[in-house]
Amino acid sequence: MSEAARRQRAEDSRILTEAECRQILERAHAMARGGGDTGVSIKSWWQGELRWARNRASLSSDRRNIEVTVIRKTSSGNQGSVVINQVDDIALEAAVRTAERISLMRTGPSDPGFVPKVPEYVRPPSAPIWSEATVGLDAGTRAEVARKMIAPAEAEGFYSAGYLEVRAAAAATYTTAYRDLLTGEYSPVENPYIRWTQAQCSNTVRDATGMGSGWAGLSSYDWERIGSESDALAERAVQKCKASRNPVALEPGRYTVILEPQAVADLIESLVTLLGASGHRGRESAENPLMEHPFQLGYDNATGLMLSKMGLKVVDERITIEHDPMDPRLGIVMSPLERPGPVTWIENGVLKRLGHNFNTGIEALDGINGLHQLRGGTGYRMSGGDTSMEEMIRTTRRGLLVTRFSNIPALPLDSSSMLTTGLTRDGLWLIENGEITRAVRNFRFTESPLFMLNNVEQIGEAVPVFRPTKKETGELTPAIVPPIKARDFSFTSLSDAV
Amino acid sequence: MSLSRRDLLKITMKAGAGAAVLSGIPGPLLAQLGGVLPESVQSIRDPMIKELALRAVEAARGAGASYVDVRLTRTRQFGYGGRIEGLVVGVRSLVNGYWGFSSGRLWTPDEVARLGRESVGQARALAIGPVREVDLAAVPTPVDEHWTMPVEIDPFEEVSEEEVSDFLGGLKYFIEAHPNFEVPSSPLATFVVQEKAFASSEGAYCTQRLHRSSGAVVLRLKKNGRELSRGLDTLTPAGLGWELFKGQPIREQIRRLMDEMEEDFAMPVKPVEVGRYDVVCDARTIVNLVESTLGTATQLDRALGFEANASGTSYLNAPLEMLGSFEVGAPLLTLTANRSEQGGAATVAWDDEGVRPDEFALVREGVLQDFQTTRESAAWLAGNTKASREIRSNGCATAPTAVEAPLTHTPNLRVAPGSEAVDFDDLVSGIEEGLAVKDMDVSMDFQGLNGMGQGRVYEVKDGKRVAIVAGAGFLFRAPELWKRLVALGGEASMRRYGMASSKGEPEQTTYHSVSAPPAVFEEFTVIDPRRKA
Repeated sequence: MSEAARRQRAEDSRILTEAECRQILERAHAMARGGGDTGVSIKSWWQGELRWARNRASLSSDRRNIEVTVIRKTSSGNQGSVVINQVDDIALEAAVRTAERISLMRTGPSDPGFVPKVPEYVRPPSAPIWSEATVGLDAGTRAEVARKMIAPAEAEGFYSAGYLEVRAAAAATYTTAYRDLLTGEYSPVENPYIRWTQAQCSNTVRDATGMGSGWAGLSSYDWERIGSESDALAERAVQKCKASRNPVALEPGRYTVILEPQAVADLIESLVTLLGASGHRGRESAENPLMEHPFQLGYDNATGLMLSKMGLKVVDERITIEHDPMDPRLGIVMSPLERPGPVTWIENGVLKRLGHNFNTGIEALDGINGLHQLRGGTGYRMSGGDTSMEEMIRTTRRGLLVTRFSNIPALPLDSSSMLTTGLTRDGLWLIENGEITRAVRNFRFTESPLFMLNNVEQIGEAVPVFRPTKKETGELTPAIVPPIKARDFSFTSLSDAV
Repeated sequence: MSLSRRDLLKITMKAGAGAAVLSGIPGPLLAQLGGVLPESVQSIRDPMIKELALRAVEAARGAGASYVDVRLTRTRQFGYGGRIEGLVVGVRSLVNGYWGFSSGRLWTPDEVARLGRESVGQARALAIGPVREVDLAAVPTPVDEHWTMPVEIDPFEEVSEEEVSDFLGGLKYFIEAHPNFEVPSSPLATFVVQEKAFASSEGAYCTQRLHRSSGAVVLRLKKNGRELSRGLDTLTPAGLGWELFKGQPIREQIRRLMDEMEEDFAMPVKPVEVGRYDVVCDARTIVNLVESTLGTATQLDRALGFEANASGTSYLNAPLEMLGSFEVGAPLLTLTANRSEQGGAATVAWDDEGVRPDEFALVREGVLQDFQTTRESAAWLAGNTKASREIRSNGCATAPTAVEAPLTHTPNLRVAPGSEAVDFDDLVSGIEEGLAVKDMDVSMDFQGLNGMGQGRVYEVKDGKRVAIVAGAGFLFRAPELWKRLVALGGEASMRRYGMASSKGEPEQTTYHSVSAPPAVFEEFTVIDPRRKA
C-alpha cells in the first residue's frame, strides 16, 4: 500500500463509523420533545473517481457526503422526517424540531394497541463485502491503471474513453421504538450498521473514423478482482474495436444469437427487478388482477382470486437464478429485515419465490420466521453450463454474436410478455458455419427476455459482469451471468449507430 | 420556548471551532422554533462564506494549482420527496493541464483548505501523464455580485406546508366531484431552492439564489368498463415559485383535460398501418424531439467523444467542419439557447464557472451555428472560422450541487415559432390524410442518430382527428428528421416544458426548459413497435 493510502487509512473519516451513527440517534433522541420515538437512517459514502476520454485523463476526484433522515413519531402524531447532511448540535436540533412539527401535522391511522414480542433479527452470514484494496486505491494508483489501459488503444490510433471508480459506503437505521419488546439486539425496523465497498472499471475504444467501437467493463466490491483484469479489459475493448470496423448491413429477422454474459445481464435486468417487492413487481402485483404482470397465471375458479405462476416452470430448466450471500464473488449487502438469507427465485426453470411486502400472508414465508419484507434480487447468480464460447460458435451454422445491449427503456412495450426493445452496441458479428466471418451493423431488437430464456440452446460458464450501482448510497448489485446461445431472437430494424 | 436570534448566535459561538457555523442558522427551519421569524436570511451573502471560498482557493493555489474554482451550495427541498437540506462544498484545480476535484459537506476553514489541497493532489496524480493543453476561454469576472431569481411567491419564505397540502387536496376534491373522474394518485408538488457561492483564482466571486418548482396532477376517467389516465402537463419543472400553482388557471386546465379525455374516449380505435405519413406534432412532441436530437447532440463534450463511455456520442461529430455550414434541418428551423428566460429551469445569472451565459443560436434557418460549451471546450472551437461569434463559453457548465464537478449540461432551448398565427388544430385542418400525435416520448440510440417515438396518435382525415391509432411507433433518423419540417405553429401556440437530463460518470442530473410550437413533418415513418421480426 502506498504511503498516501497508509496515511489516509490512519485518519480515515471518509465514512461514518458505527459509534458515530449510534451517537447521532442518542443525541437526536435527547433533543426530542413531545414524547414518542426517534429514529435515524444514516448513509455515508466516499468515492475516488477517474474519468478519461480521447486518450487523456479528464478529471480525478475525491468526494464524500452523508445523508441522515431524522424521524420523529410524537406521542400524539404520526411519523415525520427530514433529511439533512449536517449533524452538529444546532442542525440536528433544528431537524428534530421540524420532524416533530411534521409529525404533529400528520393525521392518519395510529398504532395498533397491541404489539407482540418482537423476535430477534440477526444479520445472516455473508461473504465479505468490504475490501481494503478498494478503499485504499489512491489517486496515483488510479492514474497508473488508467494510463496502462489507454496505452494499447493509443498505440493502435484509436480513442479510449473510460471510467474508474472506488467507493466506500455505510448505512445504519436505528430507532428507540420497540425497545421494551425486543428479544434480540435489533428490532425489525432497524438495520444494524453495515459498510461495504464497490469498485468499477469500464472502457470504450473507438476508431478515429467512428466506424468501430469496442467495450469491456467489470464491477466488484473488491478492487483486486478488477485490478488484475484491467489490462485484459483494455485489450478486449481494443480487439473488439478493431474487429467491429467496416460492418456489413444484414437483413432484420430472427437469428440464433450468442449473447455474451454482459448482453444476457442487460437483457434480463427488467426480469430480475420484477422479482422484487414494491411498485409493480413482486408477489402482490402478480396476484393483482388489475396489474399486467408476466407471472400472472389466471383466475382460480374456486376462490375467484388471481393466481401467480409460482410453482410453475417459466423458463428453460437449465436456468436457476438465486441470491446467495455466501458466494464470495457476489458481495451482497444483507439487511436482516428485507433480505433474510439466501433465496432461490427460479430453480431449474420453476418460479419458486417472488418478493413480497410486510402484509402478505404468513404462508408466503415458508421457512423464514416472522414478519418481514422480502425485497427482490439486488445481486444475483444465474446458473451456468459447460459449453465454452468456442464450442457455441463452432456449433452455430448461422447466427450473431452480441457484446451487449443498450438503450433498453425502463418500461417494456408489453407488460404481460415483457416484450421490450433496445439496440446492440460495441460489437456485433456474423457467425457462419462455425466461424466468425463479418462485423455487422448494429440492430434494434424487439424481444422478450422471457422468450429468450425459453429458447435456450446452450449455456456457458457464469462469470461476474459489469453491474455497478450508480447511486452513491445504493446497495451492491453484483451479478454472475453465463453466456447464452438462444434461437429465434428477433431483430427488427437496422441501426447505423456505432 | 422561543429562541431569539441572539440566543442562537450565542449557542453557535459555544459550539466550537469545528462546528459548521453557518449550517447552524438555517432560515425556514428556524421559523419552526416556536414562531420566531428571522429577517429574510440571505445567508449565502454572509461574508464568512466568501472567506471560506477564498481560503479554499488560497490553499489550492498554495499547493500549486494554476487555476482554481470553488462552489458552495445550500440546497433545500420540500414537498413530494420530503424535507431535505444539504450543504456541500467542492473545489476544482488545474495543474499542468489536468483537472482535480474534491468535495465534502463541512463548511469549515480546515475542511475547505483540505479540499483545496486534495483537489491539487488529485490533479497532480494525473499530471505525470502526457502533456495536456487546457486553454480556458477568457471571461469577465463577476466581483462580489449577487442575483436572486425573481419569483412572485417564495415557497420557502411565504408558503407553509399546510397551505400546499390544502391546495393539492382541493384539486383532488375538485377532480373527484366530476362524474366518472377520479385521482389514482395524490397531486404532488416539490419546491427546491439552491443558494450558491462561486469563487475562482481569477478573482471572481458571485452568489445566487435559484428556485425550481414542479408538480403532478393525474386524472383517471372510468366509464363503461374502460379507463384512461392522463396527467396535467403544465407543472413540469420551472424556475418559478408557488406561482407555478397559484398563478395558473389549474382548474380550467383540468376541465380542459377532462374534455380532451372524454373526446378521446368517444373516438373509435384503429390498429396502426405502417407507412409514411404527414404528421402534425403538438408542442410537447416537438419539445421532446428537439431535446433528444439537437439538444443533446450539440453538447460539445459529447460531440468530441467525452461521453463515449457513458451516455454515448453525437452525430454532429466533426464540430470544426460542421459549424456554420452543416445543414441539420429545413430553413424553417431556428433553435436558440439561453439561461436567462424568466421561469426557465436552467436560468441563472452565472453558470458554475462564473460565466454569464449569453443567448445564442444553435441552429439558424436549418444551419448549425454553435455548440453548448464551457470555458475549456469553447477553446476547442477556435479552429473554426465560419461561425459568426467570438470564442467564448456559452455558459453551459453546470453541476447539480457543489459535491459534483460541473459538466456541459443543456441550457433552456427555444424553437422559433412560425410567422403565421396558427395552432395545433389549425395545422391539423391543413392535413387531408395523415396523422396527428400528442405527448410523444422519444428514445434515441447511443449516437443520437436513430430514434423511436411513441405517443397519443390520431388519424387525420379532411382536416379533422377522426380516430385513435393504437400501437403506433415513429421511426426517424435525426439528421433527416428536421429536414422534413414543413410547417410551424405561431407564437401563441408555443409551450414550455421543464425536464431533467442525466449524463456523466458518475452520473449527474440537471434541469432545463424547452419551448416549442406545434409543427408538421412530412413523410414520417410509422411502424408497429411491438411487431417482432
